[in-house]
Amino acid sequence: MLHGMLTLLLFQFIGECCVKLFMLKIPGPIIGMVLLLLFLLFRKSSFHALDVTVSWLLRYLPLFIIPAASGIITQIDTISKEAVAILSSLIIGTFLALAFSAKLIDILISRKEKTHES
Amino acid sequence: MNLDALIAYVTSTPLVWIIVTISAYKIGILVYEKSGKNALLQPIVIAYMIMLPILLLANIPYKQYFESVSIIHFLLGPATVALALPLYKNLKLIRSYFMPIVVTLFLGGTFTILSALGILWLFDASTTTMLSMTTKSVTAPITIITAQDIGAIPSLAMGFVVITGLLGALFGSFIFKILHIKHDAAKGFALGLISHAIGIARAVEISDKAAAFAALAMGLVGVVIAVLLPIVIGLL
Repeated sequence: MLHGMLTLLLFQFIGECCVKLFMLKIPGPIIGMVLLLLFLLFRKSSFHALDVTVSWLLRYLPLFIIPAASGIITQIDTISKEAVAILSSLIIGTFLALAFSAKLIDILISRKEKTHES
Repeated sequence: MNLDALIAYVTSTPLVWIIVTISAYKIGILVYEKSGKNALLQPIVIAYMIMLPILLLANIPYKQYFESVSIIHFLLGPATVALALPLYKNLKLIRSYFMPIVVTLFLGGTFTILSALGILWLFDASTTTMLSMTTKSVTAPITIITAQDIGAIPSLAMGFVVITGLLGALFGSFIFKILHIKHDAAKGFALGLISHAIGIARAVEISDKAAAFAALAMGLVGVVIAVLLPIVIGLL
């Protein structure tokens, strides 16, 4: 588990260093994630300690979000002022986006399977 | 007995808020499991409903609360890096439907952002609200980390993420039925693409195949939006 945690922290650190060095606009942990993905693709397998740490971290992921998410208590003014706009955007936008994406990929998969059969 | 010393300790130690926060999440897990893992009763939703009234009643400045629980927040960094592993494991699914996945990833990802922004624009919403809406289909850790960099408000963006997740899980079955969606892979991919982790929880109820494609979609759209959004916004 220690080896797994060390791997993740190391990749996060390298990611943050890349952001500073190359003045990137992308967040450091994201670069760390992409680098770890490339590392795994290159290595062609994961290892036990990493598997254990990752499954532990991802199991409790929603917990790690609570501190930042609770900041919503400072946004009550914005939310009440723009409630109609926000709710319309969320409800209509999500409905349309889900319908669009589902239909699009369903048609593309059907078409691909048809060309395979013929 | 020294009651004053006890009160001074309790009101100043970060332990109290760490215990309250973990307890709220633990109760969330218990409720979620008791409900038979209903996708709409996510632990994070229950934890929200417990934490927000407590913070408002305790009348603690948010900054002070955040500093108390910063050790919990710290784990968000390594946890984001950790998302590489499930993405790596699901990446082989791409080969089976390469073009459908890539096309839907980019068109669907763009559509979810532009449709939400378009509606906000019609209502003349503020720029901060619009920026905070851009990450609504991205998984929570990536949202929080990205929101700061693009000038959005992380907590507001997070609220939008959770609601988008719940709405997707709520609308899913209805949309798939009226649009006659045939493939489980398509249902799963759309759920993960639009409704991130909550969409995956919903896809798990459909089939294993749907769940795997949902996880793949969440990972891909998270990376693509986190990488492209700051660049696009920087150009505007």
